[in-house]
Amino acid sequence: MSSITLTSSDGVDISVERTTAERSVLIKNMLEDLGDSGEAIPIPNVNEAVLKKVIEWCEHHKHDPPSASDDDDNRRKTTDIDEWDQKFMQVDQEMLFEIILAANYLDIKALLDVGCKTVANMIKGKSPEEIRKTFNIQNDFTSEEEDQIRRENEWAEDR
Amino acid sequence: MADTPEPSSTLQSLVVPNAGVSANADSNRSLPRKDTDNTTQTLEELARQNVAPFLAKYQPRQYAPLRSQVSTPSEQHLVNASYCYRHQPDSKCSRRQADEQSMTQLQSELNLLPQSDQQGIAHVWSLFSAAPAKQRTLMLQGILAQSCFPQLSYISASVRELIRIDFLAALPPELSFKILRYLDTASLCRAAQVSPRWRALADDDVVWHRMCEQHIRRKCNKCGWGLPLLDRKRLREAKREIELRATNWGNNKPAVGSTEAAMVESCSTVQPPASGKRKLESDEGAAALAKRHCASSPQSPEVDESYFKTRYRPWKEVYRDRFVVGMNWKHKRCSIKVFKGHRDSVMCLQFEDNILMTGSYDATVKIWDTDTGEELRTLKGHVAGVRCLQFDDTKLITGSLDRSIRVWNWRTGECISKYNGHAEAVIALHFDCTLLASASVDRTVKIWNFKDKSTFVLPHPQGVNAVKIDSVSRTVLTACDDGAARLWDLDTKTCIRVFHNHIGAVQQVIALPREIELENHLADCENDHVGTSSQSGDNILSTLSPLLEATSPSHPNSPFGSSFDQDQDRIEPPRYILTSGVDTTIRLWETSTGRCLRTFFGHLEGIWALSADTLRIASGGMDRMVKIWDPRIPTGQDTYEGHSAAVNCIGLSDSRFITGGDDYQVRMYDFRA
Repeated sequence: MSSITLTSSDGVDISVERTTAERSVLIKNMLEDLGDSGEAIPIPNVNEAVLKKVIEWCEHHKHDPPSASDDDDNRRKTTDIDEWDQKFMQVDQEMLFEIILAANYLDIKALLDVGCKTVANMIKGKSPEEIRKTFNIQNDFTSEEEDQIRRENEWAEDR
Repeated sequence: MADTPEPSSTLQSLVVPNAGVSANADSNRSLPRKDTDNTTQTLEELARQNVAPFLAKYQPRQYAPLRSQVSTPSEQHLVNASYCYRHQPDSKCSRRQADEQSMTQLQSELNLLPQSDQQGIAHVWSLFSAAPAKQRTLMLQGILAQSCFPQLSYISASVRELIRIDFLAALPPELSFKILRYLDTASLCRAAQVSPRWRALADDDVVWHRMCEQHIRRKCNKCGWGLPLLDRKRLREAKREIELRATNWGNNKPAVGSTEAAMVESCSTVQPPASGKRKLESDEGAAALAKRHCASSPQSPEVDESYFKTRYRPWKEVYRDRFVVGMNWKHKRCSIKVFKGHRDSVMCLQFEDNILMTGSYDATVKIWDTDTGEELRTLKGHVAGVRCLQFDDTKLITGSLDRSIRVWNWRTGECISKYNGHAEAVIALHFDCTLLASASVDRTVKIWNFKDKSTFVLPHPQGVNAVKIDSVSRTVLTACDDGAARLWDLDTKTCIRVFHNHIGAVQQVIALPREIELENHLADCENDHVGTSSQSGDNILSTLSPLLEATSPSHPNSPFGSSFDQDQDRIEPPRYILTSGVDTTIRLWETSTGRCLRTFFGHLEGIWALSADTLRIASGGMDRMVKIWDPRIPTGQDTYEGHSAAVNCIGLSDSRFITGGDDYQVRMYDFRA
């Protein structure tokens, strides 16, 4: 079981099983293109805490079949998240934010999906005001604008 | 967090060289501020000795508490490499303003303290502010180690409030779109009301194009609608543009609120003008087609003109229009128009756009304008009741109890020709391309070829009530008084499948659109009805129904017989068909096996009228009721009452249905907003 070393943006070396690391298409391609020189691979966009978290996810999912084709993406798979992933995603918004960016940068589609679904679930079913509160967003609309936009979108309410 | 190996020694080396202070702090954790005054002197000294060099090293600029630090390139490795979300100078982070306020408050509270305290605290802050990430973490670890529970509790509560991120503003647009694509209609529309930035993203074509795409062939169980033909075509054509748009969104950076302009811009850069023009034309064609298929919407004056011009009619609007219609169906919200004029039972009808034609036992056909409710014309000529009719752009064909078939120029009202080919009343007819099929009480279906003027007959054991041609597969479906529906091969002129489960006459047979998706819903398909024909659900292919009168296919390759084997390119018949009969049921069949997959119970008496599209089945009958069914859910149905006698015929579109009855009335139920 070969392992490789990743260096986080804050300069910490993390040793990880190669199969685990290869959940990241970026790393997988790098290893394929460059060969495993035994040297640490720098991950300049991800800090230690986030990288460790991402590796934890990859570790748990290392035996998953290769991510399904984009076709399945096309079918709205709703926002169902499996139980382990749900627990895994119980982090503060900063960590969630960083995980999404890291998954995007490292090209780990399944993790990116879970991250985005988690955010979508935080939006779902909330009123605009509740959404603002959840994400600390200032309401930049004037009350007239707000009224108008609300009317524009009224059709979507099921009644 | 606070479990670093040696927090106190860390503290000492960084901030508190005075061992006495440190010890004091450590031993009096519940009273951390007690010694502040005593150490004022020390702190000032400390500032000179330690803070200044620290600041000089990491933060050569002016003191700015809790603000981002800027570093020279050479120090990049020491200092935070980039701005964090919270402190990035970009104004899209509305967090900043909130900070501004808390900073003012902090400042005024600080001003209440003695000068020396102010200085001390300011130094602590400036040290923290100047420190790179790693040092900051250490400082925090130290502070946490020193904090007692009330302070930790304060931190924990504050932190939850502070770590809130406007994801859609902070993430790259393509990731924001990815998040939005997971939302349902209502959530998306609420997201659009959050802020200008959210609105720009949540209203964007990238999101709504996808929403529309998801409704092309399947019906969303929640909202229950599908896209009409025109929009499907536009949808396919726009796909690439939309994909590019999703990735370029950030680059063009449409100013909030001016998505339209950005849309045109991004599209024009993607597309050479020439192909753009061609596309416009094809869109026009599609629009014209659509005008035939889905009647113009209520705001038609504006739609007709602007529809072509605004090639980029926002997909959200397209979605909304269909969604509203879907909701109206769901909640049975419709306007009803009654057309009165016939002097006997209304037996058949068809409508396209605003043109409605009805045939009656009063021997006439009437043409109505559904928009105005006006009777446009009455066609007279048949000497007995009109039982069936079909029209297209140029002609109308009618079949009558007087045994004749007539062809009319319905625009002028002139009867062009008359055919006497049946020995008894003509009950049903259907034409497609160059073929006309007519069904009669005389136990035959006659196929007329307009092109070579040839005809031939498909003999039946009893009178025939319905007939439907499927030109692409060169097959025809018939419904017969003997209780069976049949599928015929027009090439070999033989029956290739019999659907036999109704008790009593089959009144109607129709094919479901090929694009309908039922697979997922048929997993639990009933086997009890098939059971009557000694089949066990799974090995049906090997033991085709013994009820089949037709010979089972000799080649196992095509379930539709040798004629389909010889011509490999031949398109197979529609996969699913529906029948209805006097036994009060509607049945769903699979043509390849002859299996009855489903039975729809609900009518109390015989069903005369049946129509269906990809979204719903409409039926009407002796019990005066009209029922609207979901082909996927056989148990649920909406019932519409209104006719005071039997319902004889029904026409269905994506936004309307029209019925004719024994009460001489024609009723239109319109679900458009």
